[in-house]
Amino acid sequence: MTHYQVVAQNKRRSTIIMVLFVVFIVGASYVMAEGLGYGLSMVGCALIISGLISFFSYWWSDKIILGISGAREAKRKEFFDFYTVAENIAMGQRMPMPKLYVINDTAMNAFATGRDPEHAVVCATTGLLSRLNRAEVEAVVAHELSHVRNYDIRLMSIVTILVGLVALLSDWFLRMTYFGGGRKRDSDQGSGQIQIIMFVAGLILAILSPLIAQLIKLTISRRREFLADASGVAMTKNPEGLIKALEKISQDKEPLEAANKATAHLYISDPLKNIHGGVGMFAKMFMTHPPIAERVSALKQL
Amino acid sequence: MFIPLLIAVAIIAVYVVSIYNDLQKLKTQIMASIQEIGNQLKRQASLIPNLLETVKGYLKHEKSIFKMLTDARKAAQKAEKTGSSKDIEDAINQIQQAIPKLSIAVEDNPEMKADKTVTKFMNELTDTADKLMYARRSVIDLSQTYNEKLVIFPSNMIANMFGFKPEKGLATALTGSHVEVSSNEMKDVKVDL
Repeated sequence: MTHYQVVAQNKRRSTIIMVLFVVFIVGASYVMAEGLGYGLSMVGCALIISGLISFFSYWWSDKIILGISGAREAKRKEFFDFYTVAENIAMGQRMPMPKLYVINDTAMNAFATGRDPEHAVVCATTGLLSRLNRAEVEAVVAHELSHVRNYDIRLMSIVTILVGLVALLSDWFLRMTYFGGGRKRDSDQGSGQIQIIMFVAGLILAILSPLIAQLIKLTISRRREFLADASGVAMTKNPEGLIKALEKISQDKEPLEAANKATAHLYISDPLKNIHGGVGMFAKMFMTHPPIAERVSALKQL
Repeated sequence: MFIPLLIAVAIIAVYVVSIYNDLQKLKTQIMASIQEIGNQLKRQASLIPNLLETVKGYLKHEKSIFKMLTDARKAAQKAEKTGSSKDIEDAINQIQQAIPKLSIAVEDNPEMKADKTVTKFMNELTDTADKLMYARRSVIDLSQTYNEKLVIFPSNMIANMFGFKPEKGLATALTGSHVEVSSNEMKDVKVDL
């Protein structure tokens, strides 16, 4: 397969997952709201609250994350390869030069953030920059800039809003059940039965849907990693560089202190390293990133 | 009857304008990338003598590397002048063969490896070679996108209407009236480290 086809295939798959995700969110919200007898106004409220929270983090994501991670700006003189490969990729993709930052940490990792290519930020650890050669750094930067170019930061923000929506709804549902909520209890017999069915379905969904939503979110995150790998290679035309970089990064077992669960999906490899190689299907479901072995074998098809 | 017609006309007008602008944008981008190739070839040609000057003392017995680098310089100068795609290809290949040879020599020579100026020149040269490659690839990609719009339906109708001609890509000369606007910035490629 050529990288054009891989990019197209990844885009298709991630569209399918996103459609499923939205269908699930809408369905679950509807059942929960109806089950309580509040209708869609409750969904509206939850959407606004969840949206506001995520909007702020989205709009200032670059500054917040850089602040949390303790990053400093990378200068051309000090980080020549990092700076110039970013310059070259930006030139090749005709996107503005991203802001470059480094984190002083011996762990090997890199991440991208910023809401669109005009506000792109690429950040790498000094550990990564010192242990990878120019071609490998180029592959990593291309992977990160692919996340920006594919609007993954925007996508993941929307996904986070929707996951937050489900979490809020299920929280409210469980609370109101506890307090014996529900307004339409006194309606007539026929719709009362439907009401009970909706209530039970709502209860089940309230318990399960935050978990399901989270799992779909992680699936999207993993799918976007494959896509960023493929489109990164489309930028550099050098799959070997990314394979070598990923292999080197996978041998590095040191977790990155500056990362946390909220920022994990932004990195090139899982910074928390809480799950190691040889993962079963179940453990894989809870990962933000696909196992590196799988990513490498996907790249070797190119 | 009147309003739907108006809407249809408006939609078509928007489409025509957007295709026209796309084509114009692509054309300027192709020109900019061609100019970038010229820039980088110039830069490469002026970097090599500087590099040779700094490594001369270390590499007395490595005549082949010297020859490779001087050849690469000549190729870059030639490509810059003729602007033919074959010459550009040739210049890129030559420098990409010379750089690994030189890095091996640098690795083998602790004195040279410790010399900051040598590493700096090596880095700059590598970067220039990379930039050359990216610029060349941009020209190819952009020309492909542009030429595709000229032949596929329905954008080909608009292209015909405004008389857009296919882009020759790398076959376009690096110098001439189409790059003259900013040829001032091309004149002196200063290599500052």
